[in-house]
Amino acid sequence: MAETHAETALIFQPKPARPAPAAASGPVAWMRRNLFSDVPNALMTLLGGYILFVVVGAVLDWAVFGAVWSAESRRECLDAVGRAGACWPGVAEWLPNMIYGLYPKELVWRVNLGFLTLLLWIAPLFMPRVVSKVNIGVSAVLLFPFLASYWFHGGEMGLLWRVFVAAGIWGFVWVWATALSEQFAGRPIGQTLLAALGAEDAADADQRRILRIAAALLYVAALALTLAWRLEEVGTRLWGGLFLTLVISGIGITFSLPAGILLALGRRSDMPVISMLSTAFIELFRSVPLITILFMFNTMMPLFMPEGTDVNQLLRAIVAVCFFAAAYMAEVIRGGLQAIPRGQYEAASSLGLGYWRSTQLIVMPQALRIMIPAIVGNFIGLFKDTTLVSIIGLFDLMSMARAVGEDTKWLGLFIEPFFVVAMIYFVFCFAMSSYSIGLEKKLAQGRDRG
Amino acid sequence: MRQSLAILGAVGAVTLGVSLTPGAAMAQSTLESVKERGHLNCQVGLPTPGFYALDADGTWSGLDVDVCRAVSAAIWGDPDKVEYQSVTSAVRFTSLANGESDMLARTTTWTAVRDTQLGLDFTFVNFYDGQGFLVPVDSGITSALELDGATICVLTGTTTELNLADYFRANGMEMTPVTNENVNVLVETYLGGGCDAYTNDKSGLAARRSAFPDPTAHVILPQTVSKEPLGPVVRQGDDAWANIVRWVGYGMLEAEEFGVTQANVEEMAANPPGPGVARLLGVEGNIGEGMGLPADFMVSVLKAVGNYGEAYERHVGENTPIGIPRAGTLNALWTQGGIMYPPPFR
Repeated sequence: MAETHAETALIFQPKPARPAPAAASGPVAWMRRNLFSDVPNALMTLLGGYILFVVVGAVLDWAVFGAVWSAESRRECLDAVGRAGACWPGVAEWLPNMIYGLYPKELVWRVNLGFLTLLLWIAPLFMPRVVSKVNIGVSAVLLFPFLASYWFHGGEMGLLWRVFVAAGIWGFVWVWATALSEQFAGRPIGQTLLAALGAEDAADADQRRILRIAAALLYVAALALTLAWRLEEVGTRLWGGLFLTLVISGIGITFSLPAGILLALGRRSDMPVISMLSTAFIELFRSVPLITILFMFNTMMPLFMPEGTDVNQLLRAIVAVCFFAAAYMAEVIRGGLQAIPRGQYEAASSLGLGYWRSTQLIVMPQALRIMIPAIVGNFIGLFKDTTLVSIIGLFDLMSMARAVGEDTKWLGLFIEPFFVVAMIYFVFCFAMSSYSIGLEKKLAQGRDRG
Repeated sequence: MRQSLAILGAVGAVTLGVSLTPGAAMAQSTLESVKERGHLNCQVGLPTPGFYALDADGTWSGLDVDVCRAVSAAIWGDPDKVEYQSVTSAVRFTSLANGESDMLARTTTWTAVRDTQLGLDFTFVNFYDGQGFLVPVDSGITSALELDGATICVLTGTTTELNLADYFRANGMEMTPVTNENVNVLVETYLGGGCDAYTNDKSGLAARRSAFPDPTAHVILPQTVSKEPLGPVVRQGDDAWANIVRWVGYGMLEAEEFGVTQANVEEMAANPPGPGVARLLGVEGNIGEGMGLPADFMVSVLKAVGNYGEAYERHVGENTPIGIPRAGTLNALWTQGGIMYPPPFR
């Protein structure tokens, strides 16, 4: 007892640390350190603050405090505040058009459901225990578009289209079966299925056969479902607004990455024909402005097509955008490939990996990781470039915004809709950009040397 | 590699699925292919009040849209079998030439070069326009001849720009053009004092002025510096189709001359007041059949859109926001001092 007492008496007991003096921490100190460290800095801060105050104040005055929130026509807005305040009722009235274009209002749920399907399709990618993420991602790229095409377009399904739509349904069921099985049972869907059928101990060949039959049955069921599935046709001329922008840029983006990878590999290939063809494709589409390509595909292509073929205008625009984006993406990816040291290729060869295996396992993952900022930059550029389709008469978000000011009721209203469009573009582009930064951080874990 | 093929196949198939519609062979006559398709591809421009206006519900209306509706009604008796193709002026003629549009109804000026060198056929004039100038009242300017040295806002890439230069050169005056391809931007520039005058077709000036904070503070100068006969256009080489569009248009004018309206057309068809009306409405003769249309096609047209005067008053007349008076202008009937003079329907 006495010993303990002595010990406590002898041991150095630091006092709890006092908080740093107010002058060295807290917002005031931060401001002093960063904003007012010396006279020029303080002057710049004041100037910047003043400019910010004036600009933000003016925008707020116009957009919020001085704005008209309820009116029947622009004339009412003008009579109320003149041009000093924004006139939001016009934008509100047109907002459905700016989002869905001229898509029949009573059928808009189909567009929503189509995008909801996409969200559901990729939701398993965010489930922690799901391991087949690559397959799910690939299926979203390859099979979802068929399902979406029927949601959006509807109408009479041809045989070919029916086959693909059924594949889309099949893919969706597979994704969720896989996700649930992996998330909750912790094993692939195949095993869960075999267990349920009591065929776990069957021979490998039999197991494979059973799984194939199950997949085929599911496909037949999906096919039967398409026979019963009948939606009213909505021609692509009625597609528009944000919806159309997302369709065009979505297809462009999903097409451009794989196509760009193949073109980049093709250009670096040792086989002269492949390399020449890839180079020719890339250089042709990269050295012509997108607007020219769109014009070419839109107005010239029908002249070259055999008589009687009528390729939809939206399809032509999408193909043009895809080719253009692929050519640009190919060069971005080639840049990534060139950054991979020769040693990596040699190491892969020495492990006995062939061309495709080494590309898939060693080279491409590194190249893509390096190029994430450039790839996402390309995506964002493409997303905004799709506004050019308005020139060939597709009613994308921009042309819809422009149409507001030509409505007899809201004649001349054009700053407000463009303001809203700018915000919509900002939200989408900023989301893409933030996602890419998150992805970079995640992939750089343990590798980043600062 | 297999994966890449699958990707290509997938993208191809989606788009194929979305979009392969049964094609219209060019070898057919336009009327046949339109009938086979089941709807009329009518090209209009980017939304423009009065002529091809788009409202928030997504419906097209206007003086030119009524021409599309009238042709649709003439063919099927239903004015709504129209797919409106809203296209920028840059591609309007190629879109017609490559067979995508069956006709244009989009305030296109009839000029010699367009009619003779671009493979186009102008059918009739449904609106006589002319270029004018809009100036603020307090500028004190009362005549275009006082605009020497002015800066003038003008749409780029149109005949408007060329007419402007011609007019100033012909009168030995100087001016500085301020150009943009967006009307709203130009109007905003003009209202902000960025130019002394704004020039466009007078119908367009009237429409824009109606949306100014104070319309009475601006005045359209009396001078008309160009001739702008606007009318529907078809592809050259199918005269039968051009005839249909032309005579549907003339029919609407003839109906106004005879006093046949949307309201009384049924009654008039039942007991025509005279041989002219009887021929127009297909009660006598077979003008319609000769054109490949039902004999009573004008009855359908008039039931759908009314006569020319009714269409005019509905879309651009004095009681609309556009407010272009008709009486005494070129657009009045020839019997009322205008030059709208339909050839006889016989």
